[in-house]
Parts: sequence; C-alpha cells; structure tokens
Amino acid sequence: MLCDDCKKNPATIFFKEVLPEKVVELHLCGSCAHKRGLLLTKKMSPIEMLQRLLKEKSAKDEQIICGKCYLSLAEFKRIGRFGCVRCLETFKPYIKNLIKQIHHSEKHVGRHAEHGKQKGYEVYQLREQLKKALEKEAYEEAAAIRDKLKKFGVESAE
Amino acid sequence: MLNKIRWLVSGNGQHSEYADIVVSSRVRIARNVSQFNFDVKLKPADAERLLQFLRTTIGSLIKGEYIDIRQISALERESLLECHLISPAFLRKEKPTGLYISEDGDISIMLNEEDHLRIQALAAGMNIQQIADKIFSFEDSIGAELDFSFDETYGFITSCPTNLGTGFRGSVLLHLPGLVFTNEVEKVLKGALQIGMAVRGIYGEGSEIKGSLFQISNQHTLGLREEDLLQTITKLTSMIVDIEKKARDVIFSKARHEFEDKIFRSIAILRSARIISTDEVLNLLSAVRFGVGTGILKEVNLDVVNEIMLVSRPANIQLFYNEILEEHERDVRRADFIRSRLSRKTA
Ligand SMILES: [Zn+2]
Ligand SMILES: [Zn+2]
Repeated sequence: MLCDDCKKNPATIFFKEVLPEKVVELHLCGSCAHKRGLLLTKKMSPIEMLQRLLKEKSAKDEQIICGKCYLSLAEFKRIGRFGCVRCLETFKPYIKNLIKQIHHSEKHVGRHAEHGKQKGYEVYQLREQLKKALEKEAYEEAAAIRDKLKKFGVESAE
Repeated sequence: MLNKIRWLVSGNGQHSEYADIVVSSRVRIARNVSQFNFDVKLKPADAERLLQFLRTTIGSLIKGEYIDIRQISALERESLLECHLISPAFLRKEKPTGLYISEDGDISIMLNEEDHLRIQALAAGMNIQQIADKIFSFEDSIGAELDFSFDETYGFITSCPTNLGTGFRGSVLLHLPGLVFTNEVEKVLKGALQIGMAVRGIYGEGSEIKGSLFQISNQHTLGLREEDLLQTITKLTSMIVDIEKKARDVIFSKARHEFEDKIFRSIAILRSARIISTDEVLNLLSAVRFGVGTGILKEVNLDVVNEIMLVSRPANIQLFYNEILEEHERDVRRADFIRSRLSRKTA
C-alpha cells in the first residue's frame, strides 16, 4: 500500500484515531507522518490512556454496582462510560488513580454548578400535566397542580 | 440548511487579524442533567422525555431553531456534519436526538449525544475568547433551570471520564503553509504537546502547501480552569502565528516565484475547472488562502474562501443545488459553484 500523502513511498505507519468528531485513518510513510507531526503525538492521549487503564481488572469488579443505574464496575471497565450521576461516587475509590493518570490532576477547578435551586424537570413535568389537565377540562386536577407549582415558587398563568 | 454555515462566513470580509492563519475557533462544553441516566443507561422512552424537556427549556432561553434529527433527510444530516455542527457519533445514535441552533447561528447544542448536552460555539478566525464568553453566559442561564451532574472533587460529571472537570474543549484550526515549507511544524507542535495541547494534522490531503491545516485543542479537562485553558490556547496560537509569519518571510526570500506561481495557478484552476473533486478544492484553496493572507491575491476575500471550503463538500453541494447528485455530477456542479463564486468578485 502506498502512502496516502505522497502516493510514492510505501506506507509503513498506520494511524487511526477515534476523535469525538470523526474516525481518522491514515496510511503514511515515515517521512509524511513526520511532516504531519503525527510521530510526536505518540504521547498518549487521554482516551488512549483510559483504554489502557481500563484493562486492569479485578475479581471484585462484578460486585461493585451503582445503586441508581445498576452499572457494575466491571461493565464500566468494558465500556469506559458512566451510567449516571451516581456511578462516579460509587466507583471513586477504585478509579481515583485512573482519573489522576488521565488528567494529571485530582481536583476540579473552574466553573461550578449551582446546586439545589433548580427545579427544572419537576416544574417542567407539572407544567406538562397542567397543560393536559386543562385540555381535558379537568379543572380540579389543574388547581391541584397549580398549588404544587406554587410550592416551587412558580406562578402558572396557563 | 446551508445558512448554518453563517458562523464561518459572517465576516463580510471584515476578518480578525491573521484570519488566513487561524481559520476558525471552536469551544464546547459537556453537561448532563442529574435526574436522567447517562447515555449507556438511558432507556429510549427516557431519552424521549429528556429530549422534550431540554428542547422546551432551551427554547424558553434562546431564540433559535430546533432540528429533530429523525425528521431530516440523510443528506441534511450529512450536511450538518460537514458544517461541524454535529459529530459522527451523534449521527450513529439510535436513540432520539435533537439539535438546537441559536438564531444568530453561533451556538449549537447537541441533545442526547454521549452527554445530554454538548453546547458548542464556532467562529471564523481567532475568536475563541468571544465564543467561550457566549457559551458561559448561555450556561449561566440554562444552569439556573437544570440540575447539572456535578461533583465537588471531579467537577462536571460526564459520560466519559476523559471529560470530567470542566467538560471543556477549546480548539483552533490553523493554516500553516509557511511552517510546512520551512520544516518547523514538528518543532512547534512538540512545544504545544508539552503544555498539554493536542495537535492534529489530519485535515490536509498532502504535505507542502496543499493541506497545511492543523488543529490544536486542550487534552485535559480536570484541574485546569476554563480561563487558563483559553489563555494557553490564545498564547500558543499567537506564538504559532508569529512563527508562521516569519516562515512566510523565508518563503518570500527563497521561493517567491514558486509560491506565486502556485497561488495563481490554483486560483486559475478554480476559476476554470469544469469538473473538480472535494480533495482538489481543499488543496487549491490552501494556496489561495495563502495568497489572500499574504496580500498576493487581492481580489478574493476570506469569506469566499471559507464558503467554498464548506459548500464544496459532498452533501453541502447537493443541498446547495437542492438535488441528489451522483459523484460525477457533484464534481461538475461543484466546479460550477466555485466559478460563480470566484467570478462575481472579479468581473
Ligand atoms: Zn509519504
Ligand atoms: Zn450509575
């Protein structure tokens, strides 16, 4: 196979990377890979690092299970993804080192989520229920929903 | 659909400095809503409920257009990808997904991607700070409505551990024909790697002036403040721009005629071709971009270069003519399109 770039030299380097945006596959000769700066990206990317670290399995992994989404640590190690907001808390003692190695850090700095004030989903649900109640002219039900909405400090004119 | 590329061609010729070198800037943040499971554990019915919820909430905060990915054609989906508004992973999803695009076109939000929300902003030229500001001000307003998954130690909790912390990815796309010519790409990129930036030279077809597009972005999301990441990217970019400019001086002292020849031949081919492939366009445009940036080509502006770069892509060119076209027919129409764009300015 010839190099994708120069189309002259035989391709000696196969480069594949799964980016969030696309899967990149290149067959290059040494000199073209060099020109693209690909040889120096040999330093492992966080994704590659994750994939390598997830291979370190333990017999207990099947027993460590998230109480909210029921993802086990074993499954996490297979797919490399969390199942819900609580997985991290559950797996923390076992993946601390993994996170540290991926990020070269153990502590978040930067923007924070404002906790406790948002009632977004519940309010949204109540509003949807209210809409339906009004559609079928169930006014008592609607009044009850309005009361609940008031508890969230939401006035509902609908 | 093609008005979605406003983010890249909205300069009306008024581009930021070095917009020929810094082609575009991009910022994205990943966020999840605590009440709902993440992608791998999200049931289709819950995905549907989440989608409706997010759509309603976002719609109440910013004016824009909602696109139900299931409702549009394969061609339109492909076009969104070509315009960098969605990811390939997003296209492969079987669960219900949606895309929200703000009215001015500079914020786009993928709903039910790997994370519940992937909020991104794009702009032509070196505008990473401005678009980051836009993203964060939008995040402030939506963060008051949604309970984002957050951990005091590890920051925003994302589906993939590699995004923990800020969930922030900033990147710039650089056009560096000078550095490719002087063989300094490796030296420069090595420096970038050392300060935690990932560098990819994946866009161009070939070496030399043909492709010469490189993307730099932050690798890590934990333990680094967003503003520090932005500053690092900004500093690194301006450093690379300086070296690129010096390299261009070298080109002009050593190979001026060769480069001018390449630039004028490239624009001549673009203006004359009757059949042209996407790859050929990308290579020729690189020379043209270089010519525009160095003032050698005066009658073409970067908006046109950027527009041709995006509209030339296979799905976009079909959408532009609103027809399903075979490859050969696309190559013909692409040439038509480019001739019409390049003649307008020079008549
Ligand atoms: Zn080669
Ligand atoms: Zn879980």
